[in-house]
Amino acid sequence: MLEALWNNVDYVASVVLFCIGLYIIIAKNNLIKKFLGLNIMETAVFSFIVALGVVDGGEPPIMGPDATPPFASPIPQALVLTGIVVAVSTTALALSLIIRIYRQCGTIEADELREME
Amino acid sequence: MYDWAHWLPLAILTPLLGAVLTPVVSLRSRHVAVWWSLGVMTVTSVAAAMLIIRVALEGPFSYLPGGWEPPYGIELRFDEFSASVSVIVLIGWLAVLYSLRYTEWLREVPKQRIPYYYSLLLLNLGGMIGFVVTGDLFNLFVFLEILSLSSYALVAFSGEHIAEMAAFKYLLMGAISSLLVLFSIAILFGLTGSLNMADVATRLSSAESVAPAALALGMLTVGFMVKAALFPVHIWLPDAHSIAPSPISAVLSGLVVKIGILGMIRIYQIYNTAGVIDMHWLNHVLVWLGAISIVMGAFFAIFQDDIKLMLAYSTISNIGYIVMGLGLSTNFSIIGGSVHVFNHALIKATLFFAAGCLIYRTGYRTLTDLRGVGHSMPLTSIAISIGAISIVGIPPTAGFLCKWYITLGAFEAEQPFFGFALIFGALFIFIYYIRMVNAFYFQAPTHPEILEVKEAPASMLFPTLFLAGLCLVMGILGRIPLAFIEPAAQRLLAPLGG
Amino acid sequence: MKKALVAALLVLTAIPLLIGVASMPPHGDPDAPMHTHVSARYIEQGEEEAGAANIVTAVILNYRGLDTAGEVTVIFTALAAALAVLIGFPAPPKDNDGVPAAPAPLSPVVSFVVRLLAPFIVLFSVYVILNGHVTPGGGFQGGAILGGLFIALTIVLGEGRTRVLLPRRGAPWMQGAALLAFVAVGILGTALTGYFLGYPAESQHLVTELMMLVIEVGIGLGGAAIFATIFLQMEEE
Repeated sequence: MLEALWNNVDYVASVVLFCIGLYIIIAKNNLIKKFLGLNIMETAVFSFIVALGVVDGGEPPIMGPDATPPFASPIPQALVLTGIVVAVSTTALALSLIIRIYRQCGTIEADELREME
Repeated sequence: MYDWAHWLPLAILTPLLGAVLTPVVSLRSRHVAVWWSLGVMTVTSVAAAMLIIRVALEGPFSYLPGGWEPPYGIELRFDEFSASVSVIVLIGWLAVLYSLRYTEWLREVPKQRIPYYYSLLLLNLGGMIGFVVTGDLFNLFVFLEILSLSSYALVAFSGEHIAEMAAFKYLLMGAISSLLVLFSIAILFGLTGSLNMADVATRLSSAESVAPAALALGMLTVGFMVKAALFPVHIWLPDAHSIAPSPISAVLSGLVVKIGILGMIRIYQIYNTAGVIDMHWLNHVLVWLGAISIVMGAFFAIFQDDIKLMLAYSTISNIGYIVMGLGLSTNFSIIGGSVHVFNHALIKATLFFAAGCLIYRTGYRTLTDLRGVGHSMPLTSIAISIGAISIVGIPPTAGFLCKWYITLGAFEAEQPFFGFALIFGALFIFIYYIRMVNAFYFQAPTHPEILEVKEAPASMLFPTLFLAGLCLVMGILGRIPLAFIEPAAQRLLAPLGG
Repeated sequence: MKKALVAALLVLTAIPLLIGVASMPPHGDPDAPMHTHVSARYIEQGEEEAGAANIVTAVILNYRGLDTAGEVTVIFTALAAALAVLIGFPAPPKDNDGVPAAPAPLSPVVSFVVRLLAPFIVLFSVYVILNGHVTPGGGFQGGAILGGLFIALTIVLGEGRTRVLLPRRGAPWMQGAALLAFVAVGILGTALTGYFLGYPAESQHLVTELMMLVIEVGIGLGGAAIFATIFLQMEEE
């Protein structure tokens, strides 16, 4: 089991990042910190996807006169491109909401906001 | 004509392109936005109708953008479950019409925002259509994000700080659930090398190990159940759906939460066919959580004074019905659950539209304040009463047959305990709707000026009454959707030998 | 008490994740299913049948073009969402704390360097957009560079000077450019190949390259316009 984890250590690193991000969302009070936790979780998932596509000794999948196999898989890279765009979009919306909440309530701490409801 | 191949991409791209062009056409005047959106939705409805006719006559069919055969390209696959586009375009079209007056009325909203409201609404509808017609896992995720992002923004539209806080909570929980879905898709890709749903289903059985597949199933379930607001991850829903503008509440409660259900159905299709995992554990968990949702949702609804909060809890309760239908995994229960997706959308949209009419004219949201309104707004109150009867499940309204089917399914699966939970839930629901009808018609008005208000304007009244009428019609014609869904339900259960 | 609950939740989440991830096909193994199925076909035949030497671009624009159309829609959704939430509220009255507008005045070095590098950055982003199908790069990357440049220039030069790049009548067109380009090329593809977003790659490489170029430019321009607009709107608050 430990050996399996060591073989796939890149995936394990993603899982660790994922859990760190989750912890931040739950445990931190400040809205921006919560949101950064979400960003960390997103990064964790993206690094997992990219790690999937790695081939030992592989090259970027760009054809040309001196391109030699083996190549890394192009699919995960396409997925992550889309994923990053989605993450950026979520960021834009979340930050817009935080700006508005701050303007209206004067605070972005979750417990103070809960008092105000 | 109905088998013109390109209706399918047209149905997806029309609302999306329409949304992108909404700010362009609104440059001159923001009033153009609503008519533009209505036109876009009309075209989309025609496309959706063609698709439904085709699947009814021919069975499931595919479309291949770019011409690449699956799994080398994206496959759009329209099966009977995809026929939910019917209710998406119906409620969507009516919600756009309803918004004509409602958005102008929201007093805290600066008027320049309004074109973006229609843009977001079209994106939401287009995203949902894309979600139900795609046969590719990653495409599913992309459309999920389109509809989710637009939902978060629409909840916050009114600009009140509670709306923005509700939207932020919704965003956090929704984004986490989307990430869980993405993670699972990545795992499934890692195991099978493919992103096409049918292909993954066949290749999953020859995958190296089962543990990642089980993990993916668990995460997908959690992710979609958050979207569907199943207990215990339902906490984002009451605030979000009650604070959103009423036409948006109708779309959210009627359609967007069902996306979680439809996602779960796709997952079931994959895993049932693959057969690598014994689904009994999952089914058990879903049945229990569904039952708790039914009772808890109805219970909390009884104690609400705010009408929209009451309806939001009612949504949680009804989602419990549908999830239980999925979990029981018998022919009857799946048919009942799937058709309830459709029927509950009609009923809940009727109720939210009617509630919106009441709020629009009187400015009050609570049952206490709305006492006596049945006399001054008779049509709206009739609509709400029809919705109330439907949701309890009294024949001949829309709610009856599907709940009956799910109850039958419970007994068929030899789990009569849950059949009783269903009946219990119905009783609770009955109580809160009695409260409502009592307040509207039989109690003395708290605010005498309520008796002076006019009936709702035509553009808001028409959608409300039309949907209320459909509740009755679908009750009478109830056999039709049930028979329509049956082949898909059988295909879903077939690999299990059921 | 709450800390214990949170810790327990995290452990409960981490354990199945670790077990699942440990059992996945070994990392980097070239015989894993993900490398031998769809991926292999893309790599072997991608350049020929999809018309791009950069296989990732071939995947994005050709094999999985609909995903990219959806992605472009997501960016637009972000724009509509941010604007729907932010537009139109008057700037609040200033704090009587007298909080200054910026934490520290902008150094003239920053201003000078940004203005000096700006034309080169524009050139670079155009290069990245146009060369996306033979080198790493493409519409999104170039658009992000352009957008970032716009933000830097706005900070340095002030909003008044940079707003001219987004004229009120032209801005919605620019923001919609990406999806418009996609649909236009998609319809062309339908006419040429009978499938939406199909490319006639095997018969006419030039046409395919041109179609891809139009999409890349559309994405780049649209993405940059959207990032710029969101930034300006946030700044106004």
